[in-house]
Amino acid sequence: MRLTLTDISSYGVALLFALLIHAVVIGLMSVNWNEPTVSHMDLKPYYIEASVVSKNPYTAAEERQRDREKQRIENKLRDRRNTEARLKSEQEAWEKARANRPEPKPAQPEPLPETVSEPEPVMEETRPSEEAVSAAFAEAMALALREEANARKAVTDDEKAMAYVYQIQREIIQNWSRPPSARNGMEALLRVRLIPTGEVVDVKVEDSSGNDAFDRSAVLAVRKANRFVVPSDTRRFERDFREFTVLFRPDDLRL
Amino acid sequence: MNEPLSILDLVLNASLVVQAVMGLLVLASLVSWVMIFQRGFALSAIRRQATDFENEFWSGKDLGELYRELHTEEEDPIGLESIFASGFREFTRSSQQSGIDADRVMQNVQRAMRVALVREEERLETHLPFLATVGSTSPYIGLFGTVWGIMNSFRGLATVNQASLSVVAPGISEALVATAIGLFAAIPAVIAYNRYAAQVEVIMNRFEAFTDEFSSILYRASHNS
Repeated sequence: MRLTLTDISSYGVALLFALLIHAVVIGLMSVNWNEPTVSHMDLKPYYIEASVVSKNPYTAAEERQRDREKQRIENKLRDRRNTEARLKSEQEAWEKARANRPEPKPAQPEPLPETVSEPEPVMEETRPSEEAVSAAFAEAMALALREEANARKAVTDDEKAMAYVYQIQREIIQNWSRPPSARNGMEALLRVRLIPTGEVVDVKVEDSSGNDAFDRSAVLAVRKANRFVVPSDTRRFERDFREFTVLFRPDDLRL
Repeated sequence: MNEPLSILDLVLNASLVVQAVMGLLVLASLVSWVMIFQRGFALSAIRRQATDFENEFWSGKDLGELYRELHTEEEDPIGLESIFASGFREFTRSSQQSGIDADRVMQNVQRAMRVALVREEERLETHLPFLATVGSTSPYIGLFGTVWGIMNSFRGLATVNQASLSVVAPGISEALVATAIGLFAAIPAVIAYNRYAAQVEVIMNRFEAFTDEFSSILYRASHNS
């Protein structure tokens, strides 16, 4: 049996094999194509931590006011409790007096003065005190609600402020190029002053890392950012963004 | 967005250009695999036939008889047989002509065998250029598809207000499928091309060695008579 040209130029088997391979590959891909489970990393700022630690009169005043409000609410609650107690004692006194008084029960049969007269005062006693309690409860509820609303407002305000802080962090991180001499554990604290449009007017090294290049790179990062996005609300700006400190810390280095 | 993106969805949702690129690449992959298998079978058959023929040739059989056996086949011989047949045919024809000296005969025989050798080389190397082309260009074609897809998905991003990763991610993912298919087509093609090119080289060396041996036998035969 000699080999002929038709033997070495037949494509049937080859085509079959090729189709088979492609079918297998496509099959495997569509079967094993699971959604890759991406582990959600919390997107923390990698290089620096910027924290707003301003303490200017505005904040202080607000805090004081908040404290006063709290105090007031507490006082009110205590008053309420006192009134309640007083009411209760009055009620008891009244009941005692009533029990001692002979007038209310002349119609009552004499043989069982204790047993019959007892449930009546109890009923009478509960009625006014129930009212008082529900009123006090309603008041306390309203107070608690108000307090909670205040707290929530404060939280959302904080969150909004945090969003701005993150934005500022991001911008600073983008503009920061660390010097090669940066080492883990270095920390430079910068004090940044802005004007209400968000422009940086002053950057000062408040707490040096000990490495001049590192400090300079940090200052440069803030200067390069030049203009930050700040809340348009002037009150908030004054409170949190007029002046703040930024902490530079090369956390990711393995040196 | 919540259901997992299957690869089929990715392909079906891709833009027309990317789909065309993918189709082209799948076709290229398919054809190159056909070539790979076909070449594999053909080269191994030719190698086997060369071994068989060399065994027969050196078994001391009468060369004239061998030549007649080849001629009884209805198709032209190929591979080593073809070289032997053309050399032997030229030798008998030239020897029968009167007035031709032995050196002239040998020149004719060598020329005939060289022609047969070239023809065989051509036959061995069929489809190899195709494999080389697929191997070298399909990554670029895939890359083109990817770049086009990413370009589109970023252009779409420009019109979106809230730019998030999940807006661009599917586009980029489907664009990357094009590169994946391109590599999928290219890698086997490159491997097969290198492998078969080396095999062809080996077979050609073998043919050339046989050609030299056969011509020395014929040289002896022509100069002794």
